[in-house]
Amino acid sequence: MATVLKNEINNALNNDNLTGALGRFGEAYLPAREKAYEGKDFEATREKIAQIKSHAAENMEALAQQFLAQAEKNGAKVFRAKTGQEAKEYIAKLITEHNVKSVIKSKSMASEEIHLNDYLLKNTDVNEVAETDLGEWIIQLCGQRPSHMVMPAIHMTRGEVAEIFSKETNQQLEPDIAKLVKVARENLREKFLKAKMGISGANIAVAETGTLVMCTNEGNGRLTTTVPPIHVVLVGLEKLVAKFEDVGPILEALPRSATAQKLTTYVTMMSGSTPAIDLDGNIVEQKEMHIVLMDNGRTEMREDPLFKQALQCIRCASCLNVCPVFQKVGGHVYGDVYTGGIGTILTAFLNSFEKAGELQNLCLRCERCKAYCPGKIDLPALITELRRRTVKKEGMPLGQKLILEKVLTNRKLFHSLIRTASVAQKPFVKGNTIRHLPLFFSGLTEGRSLPAVTDKPLRDRVGRSVPKGKVKARVAYYAGCLGDFVYPEQGEAAYKVLNKMGMEVVFPLEQTCCGIPASQMGAPEVAVKLAKQNIEALEKENVDYIVSLCPTCIEVLKHHYLDHFKDDPAWRARAEKISAKMVDFPSFVAQHGQDLQFNKLSTSVTYHDSCHMKRALGVWQEPRELLTKAGVTLTEMKGCDDCCGFGGSYSIKMPEISKAILDKKITNIEDTGANVLALDCPGCKMQIAGGLDAKGKNIRVRHTAELLAEAIKE
Amino acid sequence: MTAVQDKAEKSYNEATGAALYDRFKASAELLSAEVHRAANMEEARQLVTQIIKDLDTPKVVYAPSELMDTLDVKSIGQAAGVTMTAENLRQQAADAGLGISQLDYAIAEIGTLAGNANSIESRMVSILPPIHMAVIRTKNILPNLLETIATYNEKLGELPRYLTFVSGPSRTSDIERVLTIGVHGPGRLIIVFID
Ligand code: SF4
Repeated sequence: MATVLKNEINNALNNDNLTGALGRFGEAYLPAREKAYEGKDFEATREKIAQIKSHAAENMEALAQQFLAQAEKNGAKVFRAKTGQEAKEYIAKLITEHNVKSVIKSKSMASEEIHLNDYLLKNTDVNEVAETDLGEWIIQLCGQRPSHMVMPAIHMTRGEVAEIFSKETNQQLEPDIAKLVKVARENLREKFLKAKMGISGANIAVAETGTLVMCTNEGNGRLTTTVPPIHVVLVGLEKLVAKFEDVGPILEALPRSATAQKLTTYVTMMSGSTPAIDLDGNIVEQKEMHIVLMDNGRTEMREDPLFKQALQCIRCASCLNVCPVFQKVGGHVYGDVYTGGIGTILTAFLNSFEKAGELQNLCLRCERCKAYCPGKIDLPALITELRRRTVKKEGMPLGQKLILEKVLTNRKLFHSLIRTASVAQKPFVKGNTIRHLPLFFSGLTEGRSLPAVTDKPLRDRVGRSVPKGKVKARVAYYAGCLGDFVYPEQGEAAYKVLNKMGMEVVFPLEQTCCGIPASQMGAPEVAVKLAKQNIEALEKENVDYIVSLCPTCIEVLKHHYLDHFKDDPAWRARAEKISAKMVDFPSFVAQHGQDLQFNKLSTSVTYHDSCHMKRALGVWQEPRELLTKAGVTLTEMKGCDDCCGFGGSYSIKMPEISKAILDKKITNIEDTGANVLALDCPGCKMQIAGGLDAKGKNIRVRHTAELLAEAIKE
Repeated sequence: MTAVQDKAEKSYNEATGAALYDRFKASAELLSAEVHRAANMEEARQLVTQIIKDLDTPKVVYAPSELMDTLDVKSIGQAAGVTMTAENLRQQAADAGLGISQLDYAIAEIGTLAGNANSIESRMVSILPPIHMAVIRTKNILPNLLETIATYNEKLGELPRYLTFVSGPSRTSDIERVLTIGVHGPGRLIIVFID
């Protein structure tokens, strides 16, 4: 990975203002958003938005033409810019033709995307292009880049703002927010009144009526579109929708998701040119209104069968607000105008594919953004696809490739290497964990101990196991790599509970890695090979159910395998049979284990929701109910479903971010005062138990299966 | 009467009359708007006179419109001893203490006002002065945003070229996420309903 990105990450993590402000905002955001959506059906609304926007993306060209005709009928001039360069040249020409000396702007991401201000200052005689959104103005004055799509200056303190404004206005200003806002009002007011041209963006463009919809809070949008006698709107093709009524659902969601408001203070819908008053005070019946409808990569995106989904984005930035990585590092690390998860995708098409290829590494795949996106975009899937394409283009480092292709697909070799590792690690093992690794492996154990590889994996400990009494059903146990070679005790506990439920349990010996590491590293061929091996191994046993403790493995076997074989009907049919039998442990026990009898455990427990168990599988109630049945006292922690920062190979590639996220989790766990942390994911266990151990904390981390096995009445 | 008004009237009468007003008032006050109501024109004149007097500002700008004329806002202001103007608004509105304009609809659920702002006067007086007074008929309260959009959607041919929605006074949270009222637009929004 480029060292620039690494440096940016370290700078961001060490910036207390930034992590403080973002962290506080991240925590306040969710409850506020929840409140704003009270009485609304978010799922229904986002379904509608997804329909509206995907329909618009399909028909982009036709809608663009319809928009153009309508807007021109209403007295606006529409210019279709193929590229950012064409858009810039057009606007520069307008400035020169009208001899404009002073321009005011209200927030427009499209203009930032093409670096419009710079261009106008260099290529025309304009003296000033002033941003008027308060956050944007702050950023403009100090020559920085916005760190967030909706809140560009969120990383700055009032002290810094006071310094910047003092310099701008040649006076000594106190760091008092109300006073600073007043200074901005007065300074910018002057600029509004003398500007001959206003440039704005738009949030929605309606083809049916040629209407542009703009949302602002400060009132600068209304001033920009009202006071100067010339108005230029720069809008990307992705803002188009077909019908005026399509505005409804988008306006219901955008402010709620963006800033937890029911509506922004001002919403302006402009359908053509309106009267204005020119600089000399004369009324102009129809002012000049220019709409620059910009493509700049959007058509290319639309033509991509997978990435066209990203055009459903309404730029609410909730995918940033709920992202654990963004909360730690902020937008500057992403290095471009569009930040966060969606930013990674947009950067690929609107700026640079290479850059995006680097950025996709920042994604933990915690799936959280997917649950909140009002455009119903499957961002994690798009990022994996970006990863795959990057690898395809640039190739994978040789060592990695060798491991994936030669080792991972050869189960016997793979497993015998793991066994060798269990011997090789011996000198570094203390108790059951590895605290320090030598040389270049040391990053792995930074802030986190690693669990030791067991010397007796689960496959050597269990086999076929029958219950006392009548067999209710036959179950295959799918262990997953961590469950097999690192945490065999969890599997043994699961066996005990399953037997007690009357299940016959078998361990198909040819089962192997589910393939997720290969998919994540961008080697789908390897993942497909592993899928076939697992399907074959599981078919042989002819069971009623396949149970696993690992939510990621279940997601992969239940869902991803179907995708792997979407163009291969024979394998697809086999994958479907396996998929139908896959169940996660807590759901299986909740459903088939009603008769289980427990002794009261009476331990105080707090529960961590793993990203994949909660968001990918939708399971979070079942383990809590089971644990309560087993008699524990359950205390919920703050942010119980916040990611722990593991993310598979992520904790190896991005150890600094991973650790920062882990630290927060550990604080929340400790604050509950519980003795035991319960969870349902071996990956989370590796991450959190490692972190607790490194910090010398005395909190045990147990899988739900282990606690149930402990409580079960013999 | 246009179809749009017709629909508003119906939804007002049918269920909800007072309930809609109460709901609007509660939602708008959450956004720091000030909400008043007058039973008739005469009461409205007294109310507006009182507000202007309390503000103690020498200059008030207003945007001529049907309701402004019926209210005769110009005479009211002059009687209260302030300079009332509706002209040369680029200059006049910039240093006036109050701007008065009419809006067409109120949205109960979210405390928002909506209306045709094609006239440059209505836009100048509602955005430049530090205080905006919006005058609106009580019968024009609609229940929610989607119905408001639907109302305009029924008569797309009559869609105003500049349709505006206002929810409370101008605000920002751009510095340290601290909410501050009154940035570029007015810092106070006074809403007067006339039955
Ligand atoms: S991708 Fe979804 S959540 Fe992210 S900004 Fe776009 S609409 Fe909002």
